[in-house]
Amino acid sequence: MSGVPMMPTAPGAARRDDAASGVRQVVAGLEALIIDAIPTARDIVLSGLERAAGGLSRENWSLDATWNDATGAQSHRLMLMRDAAGTLLATDRAREFAVLGALEGTAVPAPRAHWVDPDGRRLGAPSIVMDRMPGTCDYLVLNGDRPLAARLNLAQAFIDLMARIHAVDWRARGLGAVLGVPTDAPSMVELAHWEAEYRRVQLEPHPELDYVLAWMREGAPAAAAIVLVHGDFKPGNALIADGRIRAKLDWETAHLGDPLEDLGWVTNPVRRREHQIEGCWERAQIVAAYSELTGRGVDPAGLLWWNVFSCWKLAVIQLTAVGEFVAGRYDRVFQTPSWLYRPMFQMMETRT
Amino acid sequence: MRPSVEEQLQGTCRVLEKVVAPCVADPYARTILDGLIANLRMLTSALPTVPAFLANDNRSTAVLLRQLQPVAVPELAARIGEALDHAEPDATDLRALELRNCELRELFSAALCGIDLPPALHAAALSHMSARAAAAPMRYVPTSSPPAKPT
Repeated sequence: MSGVPMMPTAPGAARRDDAASGVRQVVAGLEALIIDAIPTARDIVLSGLERAAGGLSRENWSLDATWNDATGAQSHRLMLMRDAAGTLLATDRAREFAVLGALEGTAVPAPRAHWVDPDGRRLGAPSIVMDRMPGTCDYLVLNGDRPLAARLNLAQAFIDLMARIHAVDWRARGLGAVLGVPTDAPSMVELAHWEAEYRRVQLEPHPELDYVLAWMREGAPAAAAIVLVHGDFKPGNALIADGRIRAKLDWETAHLGDPLEDLGWVTNPVRRREHQIEGCWERAQIVAAYSELTGRGVDPAGLLWWNVFSCWKLAVIQLTAVGEFVAGRYDRVFQTPSWLYRPMFQMMETRT
Repeated sequence: MRPSVEEQLQGTCRVLEKVVAPCVADPYARTILDGLIANLRMLTSALPTVPAFLANDNRSTAVLLRQLQPVAVPELAARIGEALDHAEPDATDLRALELRNCELRELFSAALCGIDLPPALHAAALSHMSARAAAAPMRYVPTSSPPAKPT
């Protein structure tokens, strides 16, 4: 067609160049990380490098690595988690690396972390490299195709895993220094943290979230214990193979806090499809199983508070995505989380 | 005007879905594209209702602020009075409607959280917020991720 000027460079080609340079950066950075950690490493081969589609907060790259070093030939299946330009959760790779290190040798299955690039000096953005473990992630596994008995086994295994995380001896494993021990009620500490996030990312007034925030401030519960909290406990970040949980992933939000925080996350009514099986594995069964496993009673008012907090935190995370998208740093479109408001109001009304 | 805005948006979705998406092999790019198409479809149906939603919300928030004004602290009551004195923007001026919505909702938030509301006002405020949440025209559209790969 005449009259249409030719572009000097095709935008698609520029985009492909960006992607190729991203891959080159990852390869070069990984090689440098390996040599930093193992100076005798030679003949490093990185293959099968591919960015996974999942991962809302970070880039996830899978790859295989082989090299020779002073101890012989090495071969590893690896995952690289690299901070994305825009993210739903601003978290610290060094902290996550320390948590994964502390979990080694405990009853909590988690990937072994090999190397960390805390400031992005090697990989262009803060990154962590860990073992790629067998299994698949399926956030709806409890309501998927498996027979009910198998799904119930998994549901029990998930709550058992939560109890094991909460039983980690964080003092003995040095996690107090890494994560910080709450000096106030964990509910208030978390609320202060997420309120700061809310104010940081807020683009417009949200009376609904302010109203819930005021309610939470008035009724923040004390904790029965201080435990290692995963912070995003869900089937979607567990690897499952042969009907068993092989690894718990995504430890970037782990912290020391109230055990009811994780329990409030999984009994949050807006996420029933992920955590519950209708008629068989609902709030009452989850709470009873958790109490039996941990020997700790669950205060219903405290749990309700953490349920509301879970929704509110989820709303703040979505607002972060909105802000990042508007700023041009995030590729997925999120909306103001108005779908969460009524469930929060309903829960609050049951207590007032 | 043809193609209308709706026809153009629908056509864009169709072309992206049928022509572009099948050629996108990279899993990350394909997931992002699927999400963008789903969002564009949502916008196609939501966009015509946004001005009316904002105009309606501005009206009902103003009614509520008028009720809250007598129980608000003097400084806030004065700000509410000043805002309520302004004329409502043209119902077709989307930018003006959005700015007005922000102004009124900021005052509503301050009044809601800064005062121990009488039960009737509290119930009215809660009902207003619930109704607004139910009527919000733009919603996040989840798209199914590609099946998880064995690792």
